Amino acid sequence: MIVLESVSKRYGAKTVVHDVSFDVAQGEIVGFLGPNGAGKTTTMRMIAGYITPTSGRVTISGLDMATENEAAARRIGYLPEHPPLYDVLDVSTYLRFVAKAKGVPAREIASNLERVTTACHLEAVSRSEIFKLSKGYRQRVGLAQALLGKPEVLLLDEPTAGLDPGQIHETREVIRAFGQTHAVLLSTHILHEVTLICRRVAIIDGGRLLAIDSPNGLQKASEQTNNVTLEITAPADPLRAELLSIEGVYGVTVRPIPGRPSMQMVDCQVDARDGIEARIARAVSGRWELHRLERQRPTLENIFLRYVGQGVRGKEAAQ
Amino acid sequence: MRGLLAVYQKEVISYFRSPIAYFVVSVFLLGTGYFFLYNVFMTGIGTMNETLQNMGVLLLIVVPVITMRLFSAEYSGRTMELLMTLPLKPWQIVLGKYLGATTILLLMTLATCIDLIPLYLYGNPETKTILSGYIGFVLLGMACLAIGQFFSALTQNQIVAALITVPVLLVFWFIGHLQSFQASYELRGLFGYLSFSQHFADFIRGLVRSEAVMFFLIVSAIALTLNTSYLQWRR
Repeated sequence: MIVLESVSKRYGAKTVVHDVSFDVAQGEIVGFLGPNGAGKTTTMRMIAGYITPTSGRVTISGLDMATENEAAARRIGYLPEHPPLYDVLDVSTYLRFVAKAKGVPAREIASNLERVTTACHLEAVSRSEIFKLSKGYRQRVGLAQALLGKPEVLLLDEPTAGLDPGQIHETREVIRAFGQTHAVLLSTHILHEVTLICRRVAIIDGGRLLAIDSPNGLQKASEQTNNVTLEITAPADPLRAELLSIEGVYGVTVRPIPGRPSMQMVDCQVDARDGIEARIARAVSGRWELHRLERQRPTLENIFLRYVGQGVRGKEAAQ
Repeated sequence: MRGLLAVYQKEVISYFRSPIAYFVVSVFLLGTGYFFLYNVFMTGIGTMNETLQNMGVLLLIVVPVITMRLFSAEYSGRTMELLMTLPLKPWQIVLGKYLGATTILLLMTLATCIDLIPLYLYGNPETKTILSGYIGFVLLGMACLAIGQFFSALTQNQIVAALITVPVLLVFWFIGHLQSFQASYELRGLFGYLSFSQHFADFIRGLVRSEAVMFFLIVSAIALTLNTSYLQWRR
């Protein structure tokens, strides 16, 4: 549905997106993660046709954005980072304008408006002028316009920004339902959101695509950064030495637990081998009193920080 | 065509949902009313010629207020991203907005017809001359709108858009006055040809010359083409 082939964008001497390639299939929601200034919005804008890539190709349902822009645009529902709303218009007039501009046939406009108004819970404000709406409602009006006209592809740049928890849940449900039969690319800062609704995650930083995989796939790939956490009554230095002598443990941080004399909180960085927890338990439980031992799987946040950290280190190395 | 119509309707609704249209039409009518009273009742001459001439000058001030928001407000309101990603061609956006602004011009022009009531009641005006003057006024207005709209596309600041448009329109209005300072025949001809006021003066006198009609239409077409090309280039 959405295909990017070696897409780059340069402004003068500055390259903001480097050779990015990925695709989003029908029935798939892909989360687009990256820190501020990573190139997410520029990439979204190139997919939406607002700006053209300096090199590379974007296709939507097989239509080239560069040569078949109008036909491709009919297949896209796009919610930019800032909802593009006309403050002087009321919600209904605004949605009617977008529907007409999208080429929705006159006889279907009323049913289209009803569908998106219900989906985005806008019934109470459909006659209100947009400048009077709260941030949450503005965001939902922005989402409603993106859903108008049966788009095959949804591009959502931070769709839940500014919503309260109830509205976030409702919006996610709308996206999830849409994503079952369409292609959705969802840019967000909320990592939890990605694990909840996205089948795959694309991580971008410094304009480069660092990884694209399912949240589980990224976790597997990152398991060498697993942590094992211990709570143990033991002297710090012998404990550190004992742990570092175990094969598969390559980093140890020992911190005393406040108010619990001689008890330590230990973070061990371990590799991906199975049974590492058992080896640590055997090594320390004979000598000291072990209270808790837990192997922590990498969270998406850790994975994200790891990839983004690599990106930063890569840039520093290049400099 | 539906895309063009959608943009046009949105523009006209936007004008009337904000104070701009009411303010502009009111100021224009007040100005026109004053000049009409002065020209007709103080001099006792029952024609629209002088008033139409004054309306032309008023237009140079009023047009930038109409056009300044056309694109600048889209940039500053971040709605340009919507317009450019909807299945609309740049020319549909440009023409839809232009026709919206032209509708305000036509409404403004129509409202000045109230001045014709006392003229026909108490005088004996020449209908054809008045008609010709009004045709010229609308054509002049359309050329000014196209220029103002183009400058609005160049900046996201509405005030800057208006401040650029006013001097450019003044140059086109007064450029004919430079003829007398030119020794070169070609330059005199060029300045005369580019003069909005000289072409408009023909209409006021009752002459609908195809050259003058084409001049205003070509100026409008050039400005709208530049506007469309600029939008394409921005992509």
